[in-house]
Amino acid sequence: MKDRHLIHLHWRSGFGITPSSLNSAQLLSKQKNVNSIFDISKKIEPIQLDLSEFNQFLKTPYKKYKNIHGEEAAKRLRQKSQRKVRELNFEWLKKIASSDCVLREKMTLFWANVFVCRDNHILHIIQFNNTLRNHALGDFGAFVKAVSRTPSMLKYLNNNRNVKFKPNENFARELLELFTLGLGNYSEQDIKEAARAFTGWNFKPNGDFILRTNKHDENPKTFLGISGNLGGDEVIDIILKQRQCAEFICKKIYTYFVNPSIDTSHLNELTDLFYEDYNIEKLMRYIFMSDWFYDKNNIGVKIKSPVELMVGIQKIVPSVFNKQPQVSYLQKMMGQILLYPVNVAGWKGDRYWIDSNSLMFRLKLPSVLLNNANISLIPKGEFEDDFSNFYNQKSQNFKVSDQARAYFETHYAKLTKDELKAILVLPKLDQDTEEMLNIHQHQNVYQYCIQLMSIPEYQLC
Amino acid sequence: MKRRDFLVKSSLASSLMLVPNFMKAFESLDPATLGYKKLVIIQLSGGNDGLNTIIPHRNDLYYKYRPSISIPKNKLIDLNGELGFNENMGPLKSLYDEGYLSIINNVGYPNPNRSHFRSTDIWQTASSSSEYLDTGWMGRYIDLYGKNPHSGIEVDDSLSLIMKGESMSGIATRDAKKMFNNTKTPFFGKVLETQTAAHLSEHNLGYLYKTMVSAKSSANYIYETSKTSKSVKSYPNNAFAKQLKTTAEFINSGLATKVYYVSMGGFDTHAGQSNRQSRLLKTYAQAIDVFIADLEASDSFKDTLVVTFSEFGRRVQQNAAAGTDHGAANNLFIIGKNLKKPGFYNSNPDLVNLDDNGDLKYTVDFRSVYATLLDQWLDASHSKILGKSFKTLNFI
Repeated sequence: MKDRHLIHLHWRSGFGITPSSLNSAQLLSKQKNVNSIFDISKKIEPIQLDLSEFNQFLKTPYKKYKNIHGEEAAKRLRQKSQRKVRELNFEWLKKIASSDCVLREKMTLFWANVFVCRDNHILHIIQFNNTLRNHALGDFGAFVKAVSRTPSMLKYLNNNRNVKFKPNENFARELLELFTLGLGNYSEQDIKEAARAFTGWNFKPNGDFILRTNKHDENPKTFLGISGNLGGDEVIDIILKQRQCAEFICKKIYTYFVNPSIDTSHLNELTDLFYEDYNIEKLMRYIFMSDWFYDKNNIGVKIKSPVELMVGIQKIVPSVFNKQPQVSYLQKMMGQILLYPVNVAGWKGDRYWIDSNSLMFRLKLPSVLLNNANISLIPKGEFEDDFSNFYNQKSQNFKVSDQARAYFETHYAKLTKDELKAILVLPKLDQDTEEMLNIHQHQNVYQYCIQLMSIPEYQLC
Repeated sequence: MKRRDFLVKSSLASSLMLVPNFMKAFESLDPATLGYKKLVIIQLSGGNDGLNTIIPHRNDLYYKYRPSISIPKNKLIDLNGELGFNENMGPLKSLYDEGYLSIINNVGYPNPNRSHFRSTDIWQTASSSSEYLDTGWMGRYIDLYGKNPHSGIEVDDSLSLIMKGESMSGIATRDAKKMFNNTKTPFFGKVLETQTAAHLSEHNLGYLYKTMVSAKSSANYIYETSKTSKSVKSYPNNAFAKQLKTTAEFINSGLATKVYYVSMGGFDTHAGQSNRQSRLLKTYAQAIDVFIADLEASDSFKDTLVVTFSEFGRRVQQNAAAGTDHGAANNLFIIGKNLKKPGFYNSNPDLVNLDDNGDLKYTVDFRSVYATLLDQWLDASHSKILGKSFKTLNFI
């Protein structure tokens, strides 16, 4: 397989490729390379945190806890849980950067921006996150049903307050608009009917799903033209019967994994395939095996998300970030904080990552992470902060560890500059920048690496 | 030629001489067409309790709903026999007396959302509560009318949604020199030194280069124009006052910036509200007082309008922790020299007809306020920026 195609494949199915992996992959056929990407992601390794201190959550729901132990104790528990969610953020990023199951992690990241959810309850949100990971390459229908049953999603879109005598349409609306069909493919009446089908959906203190039958509306409903005593699962099944659902998801997949601007005939191919059985793995294999995926118009045209940018650097030079406050700072400054999506529609991505400030920050990032460049910008405070905390945010000092440099020396010292450039820069270099690189030739490969990561081309994958 | 005229034109001219041709496109802001009017938007972040800011002290229900956190009649500054300032708002009293302050009550939107994140998004993007927009209303103004990042400045280190446009966004800085230096770092500087933009396309790579060029150009312009502008007033020593000081220095330097955004945090007073909110209001009012005096000293106050909002008001009924929970409609302040209806713009909050959550109902859609600002202050067409037509108000 051509180097360029391999690098492209690994950027889209993951977060780039190291020179040594590239060496061993070069000899294999496209089929074998694609197979190995899927093989290694077969296993499912959930994120695990020590959550024993939150066991009380399992026995007593938060409200009951408040009644028994009082406002103050409840507040402390809540804050402790919030801190743990930030720890989960860190663990998740570490997993993305270090797990073997690269594709599974990439897909998990993708689905987290489809099934958008946020929750300060650590037990629930970790369950939610691992649900995404479990189903990331599985059956889409089963995925939707599983996600809809998680406590985090039930709470986030108020489905746990959706009851027979007072239906709450929030979940039904977003399920149709943001998760499966997209605006304009159903009526307001369909939302109302779907909401009734989901009445009574709730969860037990231990996080298990429960249908509270006394809160469930047993009367007939008509959803997208089909009538019956529909429940939530039946509504999802009817949604899956719409070709529009397959197309809606394939559009998201295409813009995330192939190209931000859509080629209609390729999208149609994908939709036909996905509509057959909603098998996510099959769809992804098809994409990575198709010739058009490797078309030059699809290579190096996507603006990396902040997470892709950070993890991409970490993959080349491991251990550049290993402290929780630093990782959290970087996410804040670049506008993508995992587990804290901007709104229920998620991050729009691509050009929306870029404004004057975020771009200046992103271009400086390699110098900061790899060269001890000083960065004195301060992130914004939180809504809940009091005045002094709101303004008491800190910029971070990044100190490059000797380890990082040593790693670089041992692994990359023998690379030629062209080899390094091929691995790091996917789009065709801007002519003026290419000239600049030629004029300012760094003798030192490490410095050259930083330089390559600091040009706008590196922002693309 | 007026002094400010001269300053704006000469600073543009000098930077134009130094930049290559292609960059002139980014410098094309014509001060003559955009006028000198400035808009400063301040967000009291966290949800300010409007009822304890402007107190309906003749309304018994107010005291009934808030047995332990209401402001007693002898501890407030009466304004019109019915409503009064929290005493910590004292410095604003003179603005009120001079007719430089307009208070609009009950501002909100249908189906109010009580999450900080969501409601802030709604206010910043000017969306309805059921739509999700990816650009802010000021960002769209910059995109359509400014054509230049420095048409809008957020006085902070990163850019908020309110300032983000589709193809052009505002720029954030709390320190023009720091930002300027950031564009001179070795790699950033070198890439742009050799960049002729002869090969830039409309694709993503071209977009990145163009954004980089315009960022550098704006950082340069802001720094060069404002570096000699030093405030003559002495501001209180706190972060919010510092942001306003920087804003005043920018405005007084004659920067061709049309809109500014500043956010002040800390208003999420779920518990022990009284002391906390008092301190916040004092910080706010004292800083505003100096800020206005600073603008006045440079004769820029007449061209500046300052609007203060919060993402929501708070629940009418106090909670068990001597605080208040997230609510809905709230009051909004307009400060300026040529107000059509100084004092109270509309009727008092209605504490009888609350919504299902026990929150104030809105009578003025916040987008009507925006529409008025856009049409009557910024000479823009509000429907282009807000996506549809709203009734305009009559405060300027």
